[in-house]
Amino acid sequence: MTEDTGALTPAVFHILLALVDGPLHGYAIMQAVERSAGSSLSVGPGTIYGCLQRMEESGFVRAVETADARRRRAYALLPRGRKALETEAGRVARLARIVRAKKLVTGEA
Amino acid sequence: MEPSTFRWSCAVYRRLLAVLPADFRGRFGDDMTEDFREMLAPRAAGRPVRGRLACWRRALADLLATRRDQRLARRSPRVIVPERRWPVPALLMDLRYAARALARTPGYVAVTVVILALGIGANTAIFSLVDAALFRPLPVADPDRLVAIYEGIPQVGLPKIGASAPDVLDFEAMQRSFDGLAAFRNREVELSGRGESERVMSARISASLLPLLGVGPAVGRNFTPAEDQPGAAVAIISYGLWQRRFGGAADVLGRKIIVDREPLEIVGVMPAFFRFPLRGPLENNEPADLFVPMAFTPFERQARGMMFNLSLLGRLKPGVTLAAARTEFGLIAPRVEANYPPEIRATGFHLAFTLSPFRDDLTGDARRPLLVLLGAVGLVLLVACANVANLVLSRAAGRAREMGLRVALGASRRRLLQVLVAESAILAGLGGGLGLLLARWSLGAARSFLPANLPGAGDVGLDARVLAFTVGLSLATALVFGFAPLVTTRATQISETLREGGGRTTAGRRRQRVQAGLVVSTVALAVVLLVGAGLLMRSFARLTATDAGFDPNGVLTMSLVLPPQAYDKADRVRAFVAEVHDAMAALPGVATASLSTALPLAGNEHRAFTAEGSDTAPTSTAATWVDGDYFTTFGIHVVRGRPLGAGDSQDAQRVAVVNEALARRYWRGQDPIGKRIKWGIPASQMPWMTVVGVVADVHDASLAAEPAMHVYVPYDQAADAAIEDRVTNFYRTLSVAFRTVSDPAALAPAALGAIRRLDPSLPVTDVRTMRERVSASVAAQRLMASLLAGFAIVALLLAAVGLYGVLALAVAQRRAEIGVRMALGAPRGQVVGLIVKRGMRLTAAGLALGLVAAVGAARLLSSLLYRTTPGDLPTFLAVPLVLALVALAATALPALRASRIDPIQALRSE
Repeated sequence: MTEDTGALTPAVFHILLALVDGPLHGYAIMQAVERSAGSSLSVGPGTIYGCLQRMEESGFVRAVETADARRRRAYALLPRGRKALETEAGRVARLARIVRAKKLVTGEA
Repeated sequence: MEPSTFRWSCAVYRRLLAVLPADFRGRFGDDMTEDFREMLAPRAAGRPVRGRLACWRRALADLLATRRDQRLARRSPRVIVPERRWPVPALLMDLRYAARALARTPGYVAVTVVILALGIGANTAIFSLVDAALFRPLPVADPDRLVAIYEGIPQVGLPKIGASAPDVLDFEAMQRSFDGLAAFRNREVELSGRGESERVMSARISASLLPLLGVGPAVGRNFTPAEDQPGAAVAIISYGLWQRRFGGAADVLGRKIIVDREPLEIVGVMPAFFRFPLRGPLENNEPADLFVPMAFTPFERQARGMMFNLSLLGRLKPGVTLAAARTEFGLIAPRVEANYPPEIRATGFHLAFTLSPFRDDLTGDARRPLLVLLGAVGLVLLVACANVANLVLSRAAGRAREMGLRVALGASRRRLLQVLVAESAILAGLGGGLGLLLARWSLGAARSFLPANLPGAGDVGLDARVLAFTVGLSLATALVFGFAPLVTTRATQISETLREGGGRTTAGRRRQRVQAGLVVSTVALAVVLLVGAGLLMRSFARLTATDAGFDPNGVLTMSLVLPPQAYDKADRVRAFVAEVHDAMAALPGVATASLSTALPLAGNEHRAFTAEGSDTAPTSTAATWVDGDYFTTFGIHVVRGRPLGAGDSQDAQRVAVVNEALARRYWRGQDPIGKRIKWGIPASQMPWMTVVGVVADVHDASLAAEPAMHVYVPYDQAADAAIEDRVTNFYRTLSVAFRTVSDPAALAPAALGAIRRLDPSLPVTDVRTMRERVSASVAAQRLMASLLAGFAIVALLLAAVGLYGVLALAVAQRRAEIGVRMALGAPRGQVVGLIVKRGMRLTAAGLALGLVAAVGAARLLSSLLYRTTPGDLPTFLAVPLVLALVALAATALPALRASRIDPIQALRSE
């Protein structure tokens, strides 16, 4: 029952993270996720849109029309998504503190 | 950058999107292709081939992953973050788990639910009957302080009769125990005017009645005391009549309603819940649609010693007990007697009073049979519970390994039991639901079989009270059989079960003992029910086989009431009676016809009379005024002398025919023909009537009651003043009967047509064959006997099923043992004997227990039995025999199965 822990899947976490600074379209999100997750997470268009679809259904993000020449949709963060991200970030920070306290990792992450 | 290559790559990618679900592709396909193009561009710029390959590899992996994710999501919607939900209550989870476990064994569920539904349904139906009759609050305010008051003249054989008008007026003036007294009396009236004329039940009520009951009209007002006097043409109607006859019109007040061809002004409408008079065993018990003021006539006010036909109610003053009121009425009695004429007092006349709580008065004799029914149906539920408990245990035996495994895997015993109880709850819930449907259906079917005077008979139905009862019963049932497995399991034994499995462990033996006990008690309960049913059926058979003294076959009867307004003069009434008689007699197929003031089994007028030359005190007798060939029509045997006939006209000699009971009592050893009798006390001014014939005794009141004394008088010789009396309308309330040579019911339309030709607006009601009347008169006994028989059959079947189940399980579990026996040379007969012996041992134990209990239970029935003793030998012999035969049949199948066990297979499977 992983849902019970309240953890977000890594992809969702990084997508939310990417949208904090403002609405982005698919490829931009992909690039941002690549930057923030590094090689630990390999995402393609399908993964991104699959996640976005579920996140939209959960009220985390919403699609917005953009002035983009190719009329692609961009995705904007909603309050609920920000809240989930904050909760998850807090959890990760807590985990990080514990990990550091146990001296599993040295130095600043 | 070569756009053409990109275009080609993008086209291929787009084709590949086909692996994704269509809706996903439709929504994101374009964006994905765009993104792919952007992915491709920077990589291709640097290292064309390698970059492109890496890009393709990543895109393909992503496509396949997306395809998998989308498919999974379709099967079970995935939640990326769970909603904050309350944890699913453990009970709900148990229920869910139990439901799944049950769904795997639909046969078991079906059998269990049907058994429970039978038990719960029967209980619900009977409870709703009993509740309507005994428990439900009366539709009046504070019913516990209402007291029914009856008069009595014990020395003339009338210990409990209604009150007469002058006595009621005396009570009102003298008594101090009650806040008020109110009288009422049923009377059928003709309703005409708008639409078809019809006969409806009405009630004359004191103006004080509604305040006394604490129920006022929903619309309009009660009668004023001034209207409670002769001449006030006002009426209050029931809610039902308002809806039916006036379509619930808002302006009904002040409208006229034609009652017995007299216009009455409607001053009030009663609320829908109001039913009065309430059904019960005594007189004046038919809910009325129309209420008119009591308005005693001058004749009624001075009719001392006559017309004891009013029902009287009083509401006890606060602080006054019933006992105190009884004492007060004892003291009042001599003062009331002092107001009687001296010639009546000279006969040694004394008044007696019966004061009883209104509720008891309504339930009367119905209380005991209803409680017996409730008890019997409770036994049926016990049988059902025992049976289901047995099934649950058998199932538990089959699941011993599963349970053991669960314990071994860490399930707490408590949790296991919770799941078992949850299973019981589901089964009981389903059983209760189905039972409710069964009850609804059977009540609908039974409604026409309910005795008309059963208290609350009109209001039997599934209301909130009954529903609550059913829910409670289902829960209780679930507890009873749900805990059965608990008795037989212990945590330590469960692990033992796991090791050894099957029925040879301690737990298995314990379970078998409990199951045997359940079968024995089922058999015992079935015996009790069978004995009860047997006794009641024997009693019913004797009752219906009673020679009623008349021949009900081939007789059609109907009833009519002549409105006093149209039939005001005695001659007019006599003429109409003669016309109707002649019209009936002239119908093709009619042998003889008669009109009379009463029919056999329909209740008779009782009158005090005096026999000439007799020194015994005056007594009362049933009295019927008859026109036409009454005795021939009803097949009543004329023992001596002659029947009444056309010659006994108004101006001829006053004559009467008496029954044998009367002749025996007054003229034992003498010839009754020529003796003289007269109505009233020796000093009465009534003319002497000469006895011209003696007829056989007829069971007048009911088949079960011994025939009482009866006098038959020519209708034409009734006094003019009596016929013209408008208060009771006694002589204008007539029963028409004729004997046919063919099917009597077929003549009904012709008879109704003939009467309509004589008076087009006269309603004719209650058109029934005499056989139907006889049958209706024993409706209560028939209902009782057939219900108990039904219960007994259900119990018997359940006992057989239980026995079969236990034996079948035993055979299954002893397969190996039986195999060994047979391998060692035991003949098949011996194996059969083994199982049969076990079955018979259980049966015998149940029989013995049941017979002991039945002896006790039968005593409870004794007051309901007619010419049958509670220890009726044939019943007590037949029941064990039937039960033994059924038990033998139930054991036969498992026994045969045991004998067919193949020893080799049985041993190999070990």
